[in-house]
Amino acid sequence: MEKPQLEKASALGYADPHIDELLKHSIRTQLESLLKSKVTTEQRVQLLQKSFVEAMTLVLSDTQVTHQQLVKAFENMYDQAVQSMALADLSQEVLTRQYISATGLVMSVHNCKHTIKDVYRIKGYARGIDQAIRGKLKNNSTITILYPACGPFAPLLLPLLSYYKNSQTFDSQQIKVILVDVQPGAVMTLKQLIKDLQLDDYILQIAEADATQFTPDVAIDLLVLEAMQHGFTKEGQLSIAKHLVKFLNIDGWMIPQNVSVKGMMVIGETEFNQQWKNVEYSHSMNVNNQAQQDRVELGEILRINKSTLLAMDELELQDGVRVISANQIVLPTDVDDMSKRILAIYAHIDTFAEESVGQYDSGITNPKPDMTFYVDLKPREVEHTHFVASSGDTVQFYYQLSGLTGFVPVKI
Amino acid sequence: MNRYAVFTGSCLSLPAIEYLHKANLLACVVLPDGEPNSDLLQLQQWLKHQQIAVLGYSNKDDQQLIASLDGLQAQKGMVYLFRHKIRKDLIQYFNQELVNIHPSHLPDYRGPQPLYWQIRNGETTTALTIHKVAEELDSGDIGYRVDIDIHPFETIKCLHQKVAQTLPYLVSNFIQLDKEHKLAWHKQPSGGNKLAPAIEHVDLFIDWFKHSTHEIVNMARAGNADMTCAVFRFSQSTFQLIQASKVDCTLSGIKPGTIIELDKSVGLIIKTSDGAVKLDIIGTQQGCFDGYRFAMLFALDPGMELESGAGNDFRY
Repeated sequence: MEKPQLEKASALGYADPHIDELLKHSIRTQLESLLKSKVTTEQRVQLLQKSFVEAMTLVLSDTQVTHQQLVKAFENMYDQAVQSMALADLSQEVLTRQYISATGLVMSVHNCKHTIKDVYRIKGYARGIDQAIRGKLKNNSTITILYPACGPFAPLLLPLLSYYKNSQTFDSQQIKVILVDVQPGAVMTLKQLIKDLQLDDYILQIAEADATQFTPDVAIDLLVLEAMQHGFTKEGQLSIAKHLVKFLNIDGWMIPQNVSVKGMMVIGETEFNQQWKNVEYSHSMNVNNQAQQDRVELGEILRINKSTLLAMDELELQDGVRVISANQIVLPTDVDDMSKRILAIYAHIDTFAEESVGQYDSGITNPKPDMTFYVDLKPREVEHTHFVASSGDTVQFYYQLSGLTGFVPVKI
Repeated sequence: MNRYAVFTGSCLSLPAIEYLHKANLLACVVLPDGEPNSDLLQLQQWLKHQQIAVLGYSNKDDQQLIASLDGLQAQKGMVYLFRHKIRKDLIQYFNQELVNIHPSHLPDYRGPQPLYWQIRNGETTTALTIHKVAEELDSGDIGYRVDIDIHPFETIKCLHQKVAQTLPYLVSNFIQLDKEHKLAWHKQPSGGNKLAPAIEHVDLFIDWFKHSTHEIVNMARAGNADMTCAVFRFSQSTFQLIQASKVDCTLSGIKPGTIIELDKSVGLIIKTSDGAVKLDIIGTQQGCFDGYRFAMLFALDPGMELESGAGNDFRY
């Protein structure tokens, strides 16, 4: 057995000042485990690569894989990835900085690190991206993939690239990747992780840039868009998509191929509590039929794909707020208990081909209740943020691109 | 020699009492009725130590007090930080020689909390005004006034202290001018639109939609770590805002009360109706923290909204 490298071992020790105390606190279990196992640097890198490959092997497998198997594999991938983050020498400043930019919320590296554990988001995307890559490489010798706002682990691509490298499916001559993130801490972590995964050859560029401003030097074959939160709110997903879709080759594909955002009126207790009482975990496969039937669907309020993005017109309001016009819906008149219902907005993401991320599969597709939207009921104290309507009213939705993004209903 | 009875319930009057005592112009100190607070207890201790005559004000009637004042030959009276409204009999006893020291440019900020409301409204100067006690509160003729600057960082406690330190100067000049019959008593000008009412609990809550950045900064400054500390709500808990600072913000499309930035160096920044404010120091049941540490410990992230007002929703 190779003697552990003292320098690297101490770099993960509790006494080392280079690992920020906050990061050390939040990943102490992983660090303790590493110290106890006394692995060499080479062994750690092997474990990291193995964890990425194993998670993707399960995800891409067409045989039945249990939820527990997936969760375990993704936890393992996270445990290994945060060790690379610990080695990236992030200061607390770059680790925790989070803010709202002109086009949406920019998450901190500290908060983003958990995305790699979002099993069904990564599964839905990775399976879709895999098929898109295979499709593109049928007719092209090399393709370029752009992954904006990729976060510190670029979880939709780096596990997949590890899998390709390990299985020798596609090499770095065939796939070139551009990773973009505005957070310096994300870029620092990405560099360390890519080095540890030995994927440098696949990476064309790692850019520290605002994805809504970034201009790639080459034409893009696949654009991978992920940055979003539930209810299609807060983050600058639409601004990023609108800006970068222009750089796609004429036959380029955006992943997801389509995002459908829908609205529904639900009884909060049924939808968000009762429905999940007897199931192990929330997932589109585990939704309760009775709860589903109790919903009052309002229909699609926004559809996002390459065509709609290219045709989307922005409006600028008097206060400088930029919006796009979304769909109109009519509030149904035949619902007795409408006044007890709340609006919930949810997204269904078709990543590619038949692959998707459905409602409740991931944090980004969980329905988001909107407590400011009242139908057939007046709030106790009306504030100007409240939207009050009646059954039968027509509601026009706008999507706000400025500041904290999200839907704005207007009564027609 | 005309000697003074000082009506007060606070140690913040000590510089004036001490001055009168040393100048042999103090007949007694009249303390308020009711439950004593720590400030009053401390004052009582000090007066006892100095062997100064102490009389008690009664909420019921003035006759016994008047008899005692007469016995001590207290022909003049001076009121400062006294919680009771002086009644007619007592005013008549002093025969135009009972004055009140009010810390504002009267007729503005009449009422029991003038310094608090002046800081909260962002005033840059205040005054110590000596006026005759009349039946209507803070409305009698003005005899003498000293202006005092308010530093932009001063809190209610700072300002009370500063005002207290000005008392000997104010009182000595007033007595000297009175002795020389040079006091030019004049009626209060009409107006006085700015009031200083008692502070209600609801006054202390930050309403992110209603209050401007400037108002929030001054709310925090006026209350600081005092009982009148500004408060805000998040996730149905209440926190004290001890210090806040204005921050430039050009972002649009964000609701007031939304956390727009969290950064170790920059701190915790909240969108306001006209810009943004940095929450410098926050008081919690677990201790005081800067905005950054508060946010990290209490799991506040940019994009979340702080609450305004009661805001209970019963639907979900």
